[in-house]
Amino acid sequence: MALFVFWVLLSASFEWIHLCLGLVCSFIVAWINSGHSPFVPKSRLAVRVLLYLPWLFYKIVQSSLHLSKLILHPALPIAPQLMTVESRLNHHAAVVLFGNSITLTPGTITAEVDRNTLIVHAMDQELGEDLAGGKKEMETKIADIFRDVEPDL
Amino acid sequence: MTILSIAFIVAGLFFLVVAAIGVIRLPDVFCRSHAVSLTDSLGAFLMLLGIAFYEGLDKNTLKILVVLSLLYILNPVIAHATIRAALRSGLKPWRKETP
Repeated sequence: MALFVFWVLLSASFEWIHLCLGLVCSFIVAWINSGHSPFVPKSRLAVRVLLYLPWLFYKIVQSSLHLSKLILHPALPIAPQLMTVESRLNHHAAVVLFGNSITLTPGTITAEVDRNTLIVHAMDQELGEDLAGGKKEMETKIADIFRDVEPDL
Repeated sequence: MTILSIAFIVAGLFFLVVAAIGVIRLPDVFCRSHAVSLTDSLGAFLMLLGIAFYEGLDKNTLKILVVLSLLYILNPVIAHATIRAALRSGLKPWRKETP
């Protein structure tokens, strides 16, 4: 109701078409914000995932350059290793996103997923550190995306 | 615009060549798949971006964007499937210490 008054104030015209449009718009906005509409949590989630993608792309570029350096280095200073990453994500979609991000980042590949334990093949110590070491930056970001989704794992 | 697209395509080519070198130099299937994923994530991305700039903005750009997003969805799936198959069939990853 307040939204509709606001609309009338802003548009300052009292033709039928404007009034009807304003009424419809204010009802839609009220419905979206009321918590009854089905797509609010999902759309919020989608926005967060979209905001996450640029950061992921930055990581992809970063580790691509690192991996290129490793490959072109004459001594081939690689130390490939299998490592177990125990994540604290408790949501199916979150684990999927996590595994996909790991694989998409060059130098690390998810080899096996069991609930929230991932086996990751990493190309050298530094690339693996990002996932299992002290930082856990990626996992923190993903946990943040899914912070208000009910856990189902 | 043309200069920009040429720059992108050359950068993409650089990553493709590096990935090809990597496939030859690296010791086993696990490491090699890392090199292959380098191709998809940056090489193809930069190439397609360059082509999109070269074409200018029309419906072909949209198609290129669709190809790109499909590539980014399919690439991790394929890499994961390959590595998991290799691991499950009992292949041991190459390590530096063991001869």
